[in-house]
Amino acid sequence: MNCEDARRSLPLMLYGELSFDDEDAVEVHLDKCAGCRREMAALRKIGSALEMRELDVSPFLLRQCRQRLQSSLEEERSRSGFGGRVTAALRHAFSGGFRAPRIVRPVSAAALVALGFFGSRLVSNTSVAGLHSASVLDPVARVRYVEPAPGGKVQLVVDETRQRVISGSLDDEQVRRLLLSAAKDSSDPGLRVESVEILKQDCDSNDVRDVLMTALQHDPNPGVRLKALEGLKPYARQPEVRKALAHALLSDDNPGIRTQAIDLLIQNAKEQPLIGLLQELLRKESNSYVRLQCQKALREMKASAETY
Amino acid sequence: MPADRIGARDILTPIPSIILLDGKIGAVALATTSAARTDEAALIRAAQAGDAGAFEQLVRVYDQSVLRLALNLLRSHEDASDIYQETFLRVYRNLHAFRFDCSFHTWLYRIVTNLCLDYLRKRKVRKEEPTVIATEDGPLDRMGAVPEERVDGDPQRNLFSKELKDKIEQVLGELTPRERMVFEMRHYQGMRLRAIGEVLGTSEEAAKNCLFRATQKMRAALGAFL
Repeated sequence: MNCEDARRSLPLMLYGELSFDDEDAVEVHLDKCAGCRREMAALRKIGSALEMRELDVSPFLLRQCRQRLQSSLEEERSRSGFGGRVTAALRHAFSGGFRAPRIVRPVSAAALVALGFFGSRLVSNTSVAGLHSASVLDPVARVRYVEPAPGGKVQLVVDETRQRVISGSLDDEQVRRLLLSAAKDSSDPGLRVESVEILKQDCDSNDVRDVLMTALQHDPNPGVRLKALEGLKPYARQPEVRKALAHALLSDDNPGIRTQAIDLLIQNAKEQPLIGLLQELLRKESNSYVRLQCQKALREMKASAETY
Repeated sequence: MPADRIGARDILTPIPSIILLDGKIGAVALATTSAARTDEAALIRAAQAGDAGAFEQLVRVYDQSVLRLALNLLRSHEDASDIYQETFLRVYRNLHAFRFDCSFHTWLYRIVTNLCLDYLRKRKVRKEEPTVIATEDGPLDRMGAVPEERVDGDPQRNLFSKELKDKIEQVLGELTPRERMVFEMRHYQGMRLRAIGEVLGTSEEAAKNCLFRATQKMRAALGAFL
């Protein structure tokens, strides 16, 4: 194998895409060619650099996507209903799932037209005057269908989201459920901050604590994470809360949150598992306060600052 | 298999399941048992018969890897979320036509890769959207707005300079949409070139050539940083 052949094979070897024989031939060549070895090393370095840019899917984004899909599917199902099932059945028939006799096909097509005609009659009519004006429509309203109507008018079918006010205490089941949902699932960080702020008054409950722990570990907004951490402070001795705090300490990119997390962990217990956590933290922590607290706690626990 | 290989996650039978790592969805593992295949076929048939729960289960098996592919290709939460929606709505609308001629994974990936390729081609036509856009709160770097979830306090972070990062984004942006797609599926999704060829409707050899061209371009552009 010459250098040209080897260099063409190097990326494939790196990805494990060479056959056993080809890989063997490249390895033999690499043993005796310093230039190709350097080239292989360069490709490995590029591979490592590329690893650093990979984005992971956050549970938050995944949840948002699933919820949005769920709503779209519900719309899709409610829109189809009986007519949709008939349409799907006809589509299925034409796509080869069932060979409809030729004579049936025009009849089926006529049935589709009829469905559309009668379907449109089933949609309730609202005159344009009744819709206020386009500019004051609900901002999240979606136009579903547009149809020219006689007399130069236009008929629109619009989906609207209606707002209503619900008030009650945190003991109220509906209020509580909505708040928990807003703290977890809202795409508006301001709303999540407010919801967590209110919920943390009732942190005795497991469901509230669970939401706060999830927010501390996974919410993309540091303001929400900080609020959640504040709410969890009185419970910093509980094992599951300590686990969430340890996660924040090791992985949160916000030094303010790491600072509070280490203070809480150190103040509330100095047990054996904490030593390993602090040693791991010390290896990568860049914030001087967190490092200082970490070293101090390890000294107090008579533990080494390094792992072996 | 050598440990220094890139993306050495073999996909023999692509039936993923989500693994929870320390309370966080950490990875998609790929089961290879025939039982899993049978389960999936049963799930597909139930979903084809209109079972909404079965469809949801089917989505949950694959949706994280679909979202990860779109997110890493398009580098935007909004665009990735749109691709996710469109992919699974198309699956929902067309599942009745799935005839088990290929694996469900291949069929699904044909849908998502076609959508992403269209998107990448449109971006190319638009001569790349500017990375910095004007907002009410001043200029915002769209790339900077996407959190770098892999970056942590690791010492390697210091080596991963902003300059290198920008260069990597630039060279990836300059790959053709097909090169970009093959590279993404091989490097980040760990798919074999044969499976990639099947998804993209081309041969393993053509996928191999795409991967080779992509690595050559990156080698040429990033050589100065190594």
